[in-house]
Amino acid sequence: MWDYLHLEVRRTLRDTGFVIGGIAMPVLMYLLFTNIGDADDGSWRTASMVGMAAYGAVGSALNTGGGVAEDRSLGWLRQLRATPMTSRQVVVGRALTGAVTVLPAICAVLLAGGLVNGVRLAAWQWAATALLLWLASVPFTLLGLGNGYGLTAQTTGVANMVCNLGLAVLGGLWFPVSLFPHWLRSVSAYTPTNRVAQLGVAVADGHAPAAGAVIVLTAWLLAFGSYAVLSYRRNAGNI
Amino acid sequence: MPEDRPAPEDRTASAGPAARAVSFRGAVKSYGAVRAVAGMDLEIGRGETVALLGRNGAGKSTAISLLLGLTAPDAGAVELFGGPPERAVRAGLVGAMLQEARAVTRVTVRELVGFVAGRYPDPLPLAEVLELAGITELAGRRVDRLSGGQTQRVRFAVALAGNPSLLVLDEPTAALDVEARRAFWESMRAYARGGRTVLFSTHYLEEADDHADRIVVLDRGRIVADGTGERLRHSAGGALVAFDLAGRGTEGLERLPGVRSVEVRGDRARLRTDDSDATVIALAELGAIRGLEVAPPSLDDAFLALTSGGAEHGTAYEGETV
Repeated sequence: MWDYLHLEVRRTLRDTGFVIGGIAMPVLMYLLFTNIGDADDGSWRTASMVGMAAYGAVGSALNTGGGVAEDRSLGWLRQLRATPMTSRQVVVGRALTGAVTVLPAICAVLLAGGLVNGVRLAAWQWAATALLLWLASVPFTLLGLGNGYGLTAQTTGVANMVCNLGLAVLGGLWFPVSLFPHWLRSVSAYTPTNRVAQLGVAVADGHAPAAGAVIVLTAWLLAFGSYAVLSYRRNAGNI
Repeated sequence: MPEDRPAPEDRTASAGPAARAVSFRGAVKSYGAVRAVAGMDLEIGRGETVALLGRNGAGKSTAISLLLGLTAPDAGAVELFGGPPERAVRAGLVGAMLQEARAVTRVTVRELVGFVAGRYPDPLPLAEVLELAGITELAGRRVDRLSGGQTQRVRFAVALAGNPSLLVLDEPTAALDVEARRAFWESMRAYARGGRTVLFSTHYLEEADDHADRIVVLDRGRIVADGTGERLRHSAGGALVAFDLAGRGTEGLERLPGVRSVEVRGDRARLRTDDSDATVIALAELGAIRGLEVAPPSLDDAFLALTSGGAEHGTAYEGETV
């Protein structure tokens, strides 16, 4: 399974679309959104850093599902079924691939915050922020796997993009939620992306993460996990 | 080279030496209203090289899916080495080249073949696999940047990387040119010589005849013939005896011993016969031996006679009969 993880991580990192869309874009958007107009807002630089790192992590996590859909359409997953690998090893290997490939986006945006935008945090805060964002990306990997096993390669691409942009904007990863109308703000509070950002910002500000964020994210973890399991079960026979 | 290397029979021995490599017993698989495999009984012994011959849609790929445990039969049973296909696949006894597989993206030939080899308990050395598949010089290239024929050879390498006891190849030569095809069959035979079992599907008669010990003809999901190419030819009957008419008529020819049909092309009579010796002797007695030619029954004719195309062909043939 480690060989499989190694192979799939390499394949993902060689994907130009992944490197540009999943790593370079969040960094560029972060630098752009924090350096146009009123550029002296230190708290926005930190909040946006967390938001864009989360956005990159969500995109990278969903990309795992795109890889699954691609491999289904290529017949590669079917070929694996004709080798001694078990289905469980393949699925777990894929989920772990997602867990590894979210790291470049998180690290790249945090580095841009620290090195370019002058965000100053204690060492433990950097580590805790990165760790929380990493853990919080798991539900999105499961969402991506659900799409990848349930949909065709083309529709997975579209579904992942809609999920990624929709959840990012709605969750306030791009623009502060404070700019939203009141009703949208209350919707936003239930999105997983909003709660991921909340976790990260809390740590960056030196607070403990709010219990509400953990509860909402756990609910999404269960929901997306069930979706992934259902869509895998429904389609495993056709792989 | 692989012929020096014994097949890993010790890993299959646990299933009992009597267990066949492949066994289908009344296997049925339908997709909606289509019976892709409509009751199939087949036993393949260890070390045999068997061709599964049939036109497109005859059920070859479905049979192979059943065999690999990728699809479960609706009824009947499929076994490999005396157990469920999944168990044999899990134990690394099976290597497969699947028909619908396309190039795996963003991975080099070496990485891909090495990865698959690493899944098996007793793989062939990587260099040997690449050599056997004729892709040594492509090892560092990315699989998704190869030509169709090169990709096909990579898929062959993937199938044999694990040194499987049973090699299953679904239409392995579809995208290959003549030269690559020849090289492919040479490699396949070298691999089979080590005592391994090989099952390949094809819709090319010559391939089945040239490279298999045994041909299983599939039509509409059923096995319609099973035997050597020689036996298939004879089962369809009809050697061809041809000679120049040199002005004489054709009357009475259809009553000569063994003759089943008479056809005239230009000045040449072509007799389809069940007993070419008797027919030739009778022709000699008539003095009708100018340009005499005796051809064995063709496998094409046998195939057409055995499968659903036979009816149409028969009609056309009758039409030409004088």
